[in-house]
Amino acid sequence: MARAEYEDFAETLEALDDDMRFEFLLDLAKKQDATDFPDEWKTDANLMHGCMSKVWLVHEKKDGLHWFKGASEAAIVKGLVHMMVQSFSGLTSEEVREISLDDVRRLNLGALTFQRQVGMMAMLKQIQKMAGQPVAREAAGA
Amino acid sequence: MADTVSDRANSTVLDVEAVRRDFPILSETVYGKPLVFMDSGASAQKPRQVIDAMRHCMEHQYSNVHRGAHYLSAATTDAFEQARDRVARFLNAASPDEIIFTPNVTAAINLVAHAYGRAFLKEGDEVIVSEMEHHANIVPWQLLAEATGVVLRVAPVEDDGSFRIDRFAELLNDRTKLVSITHCSNVLGTNVPAKEVARLAHDAGAKVLFDGAQAVVHGPVDVQDIDADFYGFTAHKLYGPSGLGVLYGKLDILNSMPPFLGGGDMIDKVSFKGSTFKEAPHRFEAGTPAIVEAIGLHAAINYVADIGFDAIRAHEAGLRDYAHERLSAIEGMRLIGTAPDKAAIISFLVDGLHPYDVAAVLDRQGVACRVGHHCAEPLMDRLGIIGTVRATLAMYNTKAEIDVLGEAIEKARKMLS
Repeated sequence: MARAEYEDFAETLEALDDDMRFEFLLDLAKKQDATDFPDEWKTDANLMHGCMSKVWLVHEKKDGLHWFKGASEAAIVKGLVHMMVQSFSGLTSEEVREISLDDVRRLNLGALTFQRQVGMMAMLKQIQKMAGQPVAREAAGA
Repeated sequence: MADTVSDRANSTVLDVEAVRRDFPILSETVYGKPLVFMDSGASAQKPRQVIDAMRHCMEHQYSNVHRGAHYLSAATTDAFEQARDRVARFLNAASPDEIIFTPNVTAAINLVAHAYGRAFLKEGDEVIVSEMEHHANIVPWQLLAEATGVVLRVAPVEDDGSFRIDRFAELLNDRTKLVSITHCSNVLGTNVPAKEVARLAHDAGAKVLFDGAQAVVHGPVDVQDIDADFYGFTAHKLYGPSGLGVLYGKLDILNSMPPFLGGGDMIDKVSFKGSTFKEAPHRFEAGTPAIVEAIGLHAAINYVADIGFDAIRAHEAGLRDYAHERLSAIEGMRLIGTAPDKAAIISFLVDGLHPYDVAAVLDRQGVACRVGHHCAEPLMDRLGIIGTVRATLAMYNTKAEIDVLGEAIEKARKMLS
């Protein structure tokens, strides 16, 4: 399910030009606004450190599957958070462990700037940490 | 380097198109749109005069300074020391020996905090900074406070970004030993009345340091007229190269200070029984300095002098006023920093929009601004904001570019609302 959404995001981004990607991200941000992320979850403990705008992530494990929710103050980052949590929720521990940096790189097309690309990589690592999995690294020789 | 001054010096009119032609990067496009560079407050672009001077040094003259027994070393040492002399004249220092080359302003302030602070300040002594300081003029004093028990006091800033000299004066007392204040706020553009600050500080028996990173770009600085004890600025904001800053200090004070960094070039005699040190400025320049960068700074100062500060100030004042007028016409616009005496540094927020989103839309329109807390988190806390978008306007910016900025902000409002 999550993989289908991931493919959908990646293929959409690949099909769009830069300006359209920007609009796409803002549409995703509006969808993210409609998801449930109560203010009491916006704690320092849930805050990702080092981001230019604040990003909160929460994690829940249900029936052996990992579910993530996220929020941000900035619209474009909200769109990126939306892609990440939608793409990588509903996975088993093994599937979370297998998410690679290259998987995120396909979504990087939405990040538009290098700094936000770095932020997305940090989000992946946070997701893997929250799921109790080792974080993705560059393949040897890459 | 000959300090030739063309007939455009002393003019109050700046030919902005001619200036723009001197900066190769300004003809670049980003995302297929003409670059509108409004991030000079972070680091300014470089005119070809600076690029050429640095290239010439590396292609024809380069060698280490102060130690070689050969032609190139002598020539480079000569050029390096001429750069120091040019900086001295730029600041109207009494002597080139009062000019220390550092990596940047941060290093200049840290040098004073270490070498002066640890030698002459003791527990209970007070250092005054202001609420609108860059972190570079806060953290070194906090480190000094932790190490020595010196007390840090903070001069307030008004809601509009003004600096009130009377409120600053209230903090002065017989425990005040050092005042370290920005000459021009990097966020608000507020100009601080340096001469008055120095007079009041001296009346209280304190020394005074100014962070001139922004100020030297926008107008002439005369350290003797101000009566500054220390003054720091950096080359890369003054259209020169990165990696080189300047600390001015009064010679008697500098020579009373112990060294900060130890190493080559700063010693008089070294033995395992102990070492003795050169006088200023070399006492504070351990190791190989930024040689090509100093030559680049010399060219940058010549360039600015050639345009003339009268012309630069008039041009930038026109841009500042036009930017305030144009941006104020945008619904939801909130200008941050509207002090009566301010440089062309325009910080703003748009109601309901996150500054990062606004800056992202501006970027897509080719407009380069800075966004965030601008290394001034205490000021953000004071103003109750998370950050700003900042457009800094330089000698090469135009009113047409401010229109592009205004249209890009309007586009951001439409897209993000």
